[in-house]
Amino acid sequence: MHGQARSDPHAKVEVKASHRYGDLVVHEWLEFNVGTNEFVCICGPSGCGKTTLLDMLSGVLRPSQGAVLIDGTPADPKRHSISFVFQEPSTFPWLNVHDNVATGLRIKGAYKAEIDAKVREIVGIVGLTGFEKYYPHQISGGMKQRVAIARAFATDADLILMDEPFVSLDQPTRERMQREVLDIWRRKQRTVIFVTHNLEEAVFLGDRILILSAKPARIVADLPVAMSRPRDLLAPEFLKLRAQCMQLLHTPGAPDPAFNGHAKPE
Amino acid sequence: MTIDTTSGPSFANAVPASGRAAGSGRTVLWNLLSLSVALGVWQLASVMLASPFFPGPGKIIRAFVQLSMQGDTSGHSLLTHAWASVQRVLVGFGLGVLLGVPLGLLMGLYPKVYAGTRSVLEPFRFIPPIAWIPLAIIFFSGLTRFAFLIFLGAVFPIFTSTLVGVARVEPIHRKVGVVHGASKMWTLRNVVVPTVLPDIMAGMRVGLGTAWLTIVAAELAGGISTGLGRLMINYAELMQVPHVIVGMLLIGFIGFLMNEALLLIEKRLFRWRWQVSL
Repeated sequence: MHGQARSDPHAKVEVKASHRYGDLVVHEWLEFNVGTNEFVCICGPSGCGKTTLLDMLSGVLRPSQGAVLIDGTPADPKRHSISFVFQEPSTFPWLNVHDNVATGLRIKGAYKAEIDAKVREIVGIVGLTGFEKYYPHQISGGMKQRVAIARAFATDADLILMDEPFVSLDQPTRERMQREVLDIWRRKQRTVIFVTHNLEEAVFLGDRILILSAKPARIVADLPVAMSRPRDLLAPEFLKLRAQCMQLLHTPGAPDPAFNGHAKPE
Repeated sequence: MTIDTTSGPSFANAVPASGRAAGSGRTVLWNLLSLSVALGVWQLASVMLASPFFPGPGKIIRAFVQLSMQGDTSGHSLLTHAWASVQRVLVGFGLGVLLGVPLGLLMGLYPKVYAGTRSVLEPFRFIPPIAWIPLAIIFFSGLTRFAFLIFLGAVFPIFTSTLVGVARVEPIHRKVGVVHGASKMWTLRNVVVPTVLPDIMAGMRVGLGTAWLTIVAAELAGGISTGLGRLMINYAELMQVPHVIVGMLLIGFIGFLMNEALLLIEKRLFRWRWQVSL
């Protein structure tokens, strides 16, 4: 399709792209696949161009070279169902919880009965039942982010992109939200790409972890996480993988032929 | 109400729901008290001065009753005068909203259009509507003349606040629409308009003030037999101070009622906001 041969027929998302703004090379060649219903975490140092990567994945930005394919066609928000959970608060203050959660479904033109049923289900899953009529200013920051997550999972999204969604939350809330996201993901069966700077979070959540280098970004490592969930943050293998990620994160930006963008863990 | 934002304990009144309802009864009492103090001082001053040019509240009420029941020197009742003015204000103000809001949204969404037409638009803003009266007298008559003048007075505050409001749209809110594949029309209706609405309402309230300012000036200029401005100038020529004051107070009262109506709409529309502007 579109002249690009699909290398992996099971991949939901295929990235083979690079991007530059004028002379600024944001991404060296990035190449990775994400399988259907896979939960992939992407970690990288600050300024590794994660916003650009997310914009390419959501189809808002065309890569200057190569393509991002979803189900074999170039990512396009009008064609694909993509949902996004942003780092900053993104709920609409003029809509109540129910209407905020319904936003994605309304854009897709769903019928009212369908919207109501789906909103009721997802609001129940994120534990906001009873708060449907509340406005964002009447609920806590954690609840607001839960609304944003519910909005993303309410649609039949091909792909859910999460951009450091818990960074503004306090530690206990953050830990609870991580467990909740895994629960929603398990129940709703969606493909998730989760960007974070927090390695513990990445190891706790992901089926796989992609480590990016500093700008110009390339993939330093693609690590599968073999541990079963729920994961114990203090288990030796958890700590070992976390330490390994930490080391990789500090790899200098200069190309390292040993990894060649396809490093495998020992 | 300004005290609420500064003093500690009464800050609780800023919370919508129950706090506001409990405070409103006391507010009404305070307003009744300040109103009766103002009337008392006025009455006292008129008694002490004992001049036909400084009538007390009693004389005003008598003039009000006379104007309502018997009408003015040419038989027009107070209601006729008031309705004539209100009608003109509503038509002119309505036109101002109908043109000011879309124009403000358009220019706000396409800043280049605004930047490219500034030199045409902005000078008009500084020509007071009153300066248009001579031309309006030449070109228009009746309701059209007043509607035109009031439109000129109301459209700019509405346009300017709408324009400024569009800049307040959060990029993240737009992005929520974009990543979900929303059309431009969806974003306009569901993101831009809800964000700008408070500014539109604020502009409308300023525009309403300008509309009343313009109507009285336009009616004073003459050429018509009805309208509160006309009534006032007629009685001023007869040196009938109480009747003039009836006209003034009625303008204040009707303007106050219209403003309250707008506030009521605002409160209904903006239940999602922490504080309702006053």
